[in-house]
Amino acid sequence: MKVFRAHILVCGGTGCRATGSEAIRPALVSEVQRRGLAGEVAVVETGCNGFCAAGPIMVIYPEGTFYQKVQVDDVPLIIEEHIIKGRPIERLMYREPSTDRTIPHIRDIPFFGKQMLIALRNRGLIDAEKIDEYIARDGYMAAAQALTQMTPEQVIQEITKSGLRGRGGGGFPTGMKWSFARKAAGDLKYILCNADEGDPGAFMDRSILEADPHAVLEGMIIGGYAIGARQGYIYCRAEYPLAIKRLNIAIAQAREYGLLGENILGSGYGLDIEVYQGAGAFVCGEETALMASIEGRRGMPRPRPPFPAQQGLWGKPSVLNNVETFANVPQIILKGSDWFASIGTKNSKGTKVFALTGAVNNVGLVEVPMGTPIGDIIFDIGGGIPNGKKFKAAQLGGPSGGCIPAAALNTPTDYEEITKLGAIMGSGGLIVMDEDTCMVDTARFFMEFCQEESCGKCTPCREGTKRMLEILNRICSSQGRDGDIELLEELAYSIKDTALCGLGQTAPNPVLSTLRYFREEYEAHIYQKRCPACVCSGMFTTPCQHACPINMDVPAYIALVRAHRLEDAYRVLKRTNPFPAICGRVCPQFCATKCRRGQLDQPLAIAWLKRFITDNAPRPTVRRVPITRKEKIAIVGAGPAGLTAAHDLALRGYAVEVFEELPKPGGMMRYGIPAYRLSREVIDAEIADIAELGVTIHTGIRVGKDISFDDLLSSHDRILLATGAHRSLPLRIPGEDLQGVMGAVEFLRAVNLDKPPAIGKRVVVIGGGNTALDAARTARRLGAEEVRVLYRRERSDMPAWEQEIEAALAEGVLIDCMVSPVCCEGSGDKVTQIICQRMQAAEFDSSGRRRSVPIPGSEYALAADLVISAVSQSTDISFVPETAGIATAIQGTICCRPQNSTRTSHERVYAAGDAVLGPATVVEAIAAGHQAARDIDEDIRNYNREPPWQEKDIEKIDIPFEVDEETISRPRIAMPELPVRERTRSFAEVELGYDRDSAWREACRCQRCDGNQGKG
Amino acid sequence: MPNITIEDLKKIKERVQKQDLFRTGEKRVKITVHMGTCGIASGAKDIMDALLDEVTATGVDDVLVTTSGCIGICSREPLITVEERGSDPIIYEQLTPNKMRQIFRQHILAGKVQTEFVMARGREQDRSGGAS
Repeated sequence: MKVFRAHILVCGGTGCRATGSEAIRPALVSEVQRRGLAGEVAVVETGCNGFCAAGPIMVIYPEGTFYQKVQVDDVPLIIEEHIIKGRPIERLMYREPSTDRTIPHIRDIPFFGKQMLIALRNRGLIDAEKIDEYIARDGYMAAAQALTQMTPEQVIQEITKSGLRGRGGGGFPTGMKWSFARKAAGDLKYILCNADEGDPGAFMDRSILEADPHAVLEGMIIGGYAIGARQGYIYCRAEYPLAIKRLNIAIAQAREYGLLGENILGSGYGLDIEVYQGAGAFVCGEETALMASIEGRRGMPRPRPPFPAQQGLWGKPSVLNNVETFANVPQIILKGSDWFASIGTKNSKGTKVFALTGAVNNVGLVEVPMGTPIGDIIFDIGGGIPNGKKFKAAQLGGPSGGCIPAAALNTPTDYEEITKLGAIMGSGGLIVMDEDTCMVDTARFFMEFCQEESCGKCTPCREGTKRMLEILNRICSSQGRDGDIELLEELAYSIKDTALCGLGQTAPNPVLSTLRYFREEYEAHIYQKRCPACVCSGMFTTPCQHACPINMDVPAYIALVRAHRLEDAYRVLKRTNPFPAICGRVCPQFCATKCRRGQLDQPLAIAWLKRFITDNAPRPTVRRVPITRKEKIAIVGAGPAGLTAAHDLALRGYAVEVFEELPKPGGMMRYGIPAYRLSREVIDAEIADIAELGVTIHTGIRVGKDISFDDLLSSHDRILLATGAHRSLPLRIPGEDLQGVMGAVEFLRAVNLDKPPAIGKRVVVIGGGNTALDAARTARRLGAEEVRVLYRRERSDMPAWEQEIEAALAEGVLIDCMVSPVCCEGSGDKVTQIICQRMQAAEFDSSGRRRSVPIPGSEYALAADLVISAVSQSTDISFVPETAGIATAIQGTICCRPQNSTRTSHERVYAAGDAVLGPATVVEAIAAGHQAARDIDEDIRNYNREPPWQEKDIEKIDIPFEVDEETISRPRIAMPELPVRERTRSFAEVELGYDRDSAWREACRCQRCDGNQGKG
Repeated sequence: MPNITIEDLKKIKERVQKQDLFRTGEKRVKITVHMGTCGIASGAKDIMDALLDEVTATGVDDVLVTTSGCIGICSREPLITVEERGSDPIIYEQLTPNKMRQIFRQHILAGKVQTEFVMARGREQDRSGGAS
């Protein structure tokens, strides 16, 4: 490596370029040249360091001097003064506003604070290649004690009493294993260490061997003494060169000190240890295969008994323990079995080391007391899931283990408790998986691993894993068929029962455990040909389109934005979505959560591009569709689900009538979502297009009051119930019936009917979802001086979108987390205050979030003129007479069978949208509306024995294929917004929409995942 | 050499504890570069090189440079621990050679802790108590 005495770093980020950094670098280079410093000083251009306000920025190392607002004219001075004379230039230096950043103590960082180190006690403290440093930390004192003051039987008794169990995965009591070998006949015995760590994602043993090899040697000396072995082997895979190197150094040093060899520490006992390098076959981690491998034979297991404690290596009694097990032994001898047994749970003592990997912030090696809940390891020590994604599962025990779902995060790390869940403690690999993991693909991955690693000796494992893998491959490539799940289960149980060794017997575990907790994902793959996590790329063209409930062709319209063909883009939108302008404003964007660009910098702003198209291109003209069918359809509710169904059915030639109770159509889009998020003109225009098709929309008519349900049923062939979820759930606290306490849905509806309730000065909103924030921001606009949102969990748990939370905060809404209401109090019948209590985090609930429980005595009062509850909504179908026999669920929603269909228990009545789903999103309602139209049409045609409906040839729109040659990391283009001061008294839209240039630049960020599909 | 005895073990322990912790006044600062596989994979060797270059270039003789294994938090590698007499050890995270040079000049030589690169202070001790 060439050594420069100074490095000058010039920021080349966009911000600094804009202020002139581009000219600085060449100026520096030529100045460095001119002063003859080319070999001493390196000039480097760096990416943005985020401090663009002070640009152009320059950092000079080794001192790390930070210069800001550097101009070309400053360059000669910088070289002369700083580089040559060593005098930093005060004028250009940045002054930190507050330099007192406090440094946390290592104990205050949860990653370290929650750990307890026994096997890893020397990590990071000693030089692994210096035996003296190990000795300085009490090294070999345990061996000295065991060899000179204890009989072998006493050593075994101490280990037995401690409760130490094998850390390699099996969890067999170590003391018992040693006593079997001690009692076995024969003079020649072996002590073996299993360092053949092969589970994907596991690196506990490697780390111990690299950081503290003498601890393992000392454990083996004690073990060898206990069983009477004179020779030991460490079986370590050759892929661990650093571990092997440090082990060999450690062995050489121990031999030099006489800590290995004859008459160790004058005790008369002698042991030597050798490292045996394995070639990396997974099966060689199995004890009989490992011994065969040391003997120079092919690594294959053999049936047991005889167990290795009787007949092991070369037919002699042998004990094989894992690296971590041995690393625990010296500490048990030194500190006593009582100390060790005081740590952990009833049957799992001491600590366990885990290799924490996958979708977790702090990837690393952790050692925790047994009994620590798995959720604590992932969320407190591991720091949770990166990028705001949701936890899905934790894989424990590698290819022999299983997955643990969110509902089981409270499970303690305990051999038996984990086994109950269908996983195993294993050697300690802990792979965290987030919502972007496909569980079928995960099972497939582990099955592929086992199939490849199967030694081939027994048929169940050799053939069974192959067949199981074939089925899984089929399911992951859209070829899954009915019966595959049952076949997988049958094969899994036969392999479990009949395979020869542990590898084969446990190979089906990943499949069985994912089937146990994520069966619906298998079903989605097989029956709906969908991969919900958008991982199995054989099943779809692009993840964004696959993630969209209405399968919108995202890459196509983005490509058309890039090509400036907005009219064509609008036509692409309208093919699958009758409400693209609305979705462009309020869609939760399932597409963007799976956007592959997000792995580089940020997902595309798909909704904002959609909005740009609808804002800037003329709406495609709609022509009335002639009624060609005799059947009449009635739709109750003019929300997105009902109107979408009306739209689709009208296109198929049906006569459709929509009945809406409120004065205008739109449902929650109009009476729930505030106008500052979704302008009323946009709603009017898109609904007008549906009416234009020939759909009749009756408003101000409540079915059950103005017209009876039975009349509707007799005058129409089919009825679709799309009545939404327009009733707020009660808070269930005393004082809720006071005047001035109301539900958020009712509040927003009143506001949108231009009949806002009295707001007063102080408004308290209870809830953490978008509806709560809608109510809060609306109350602000209506003149409330103080609006406070109370949420009972952490802010990171709020279901509301981050952008909504930020907008609310910007508009002066206060958000208090970890607070829950106790009761409302008033004077007379009018509410005046709400009593609240503070909450604290407790164990995990079934959703994988921490439950919150009240802190006793933390009650406090908040003055309130209006209390709005936004905890959830329910559906109200009281207008349907019970005689109609429509089945409903406990929470009031309508039941449809089969799942994902819209058919109710009445053969001519269908249901869709929030009335079925509970409060959901516009795009899910649109998807349900499409499904309802398909179901109704299909049933009518089946009844009439007509052939299925054929969509007319859709107009061909040529999609250009243009992508940038090179991808440069670049975040999404920000959405221009109305300034905050203009927002608080106005319901004008906050988001203003992209201009042409912003939209084009954003569209260019699309990586066109549809590229290799031969499109364009 | 002949086999060592338990007495020898104790002597080694005392000797190392004395000299290693620079309490004798020989060394003022001990810098540990954490070089497990994770550290090396994230560039700990470059950190070591940069550190040794600085030590050579500045000619200081009161700094002890040593290595050790992974401290567990692999995603923050490369890491170093700087120990000065009388103060908490300081752990620096996610280092680059340039950050290393800056830490050497500003912290080791000039005594200013470079807080922006610090992960934590203190030492992860064996919490289980007993002999240590």
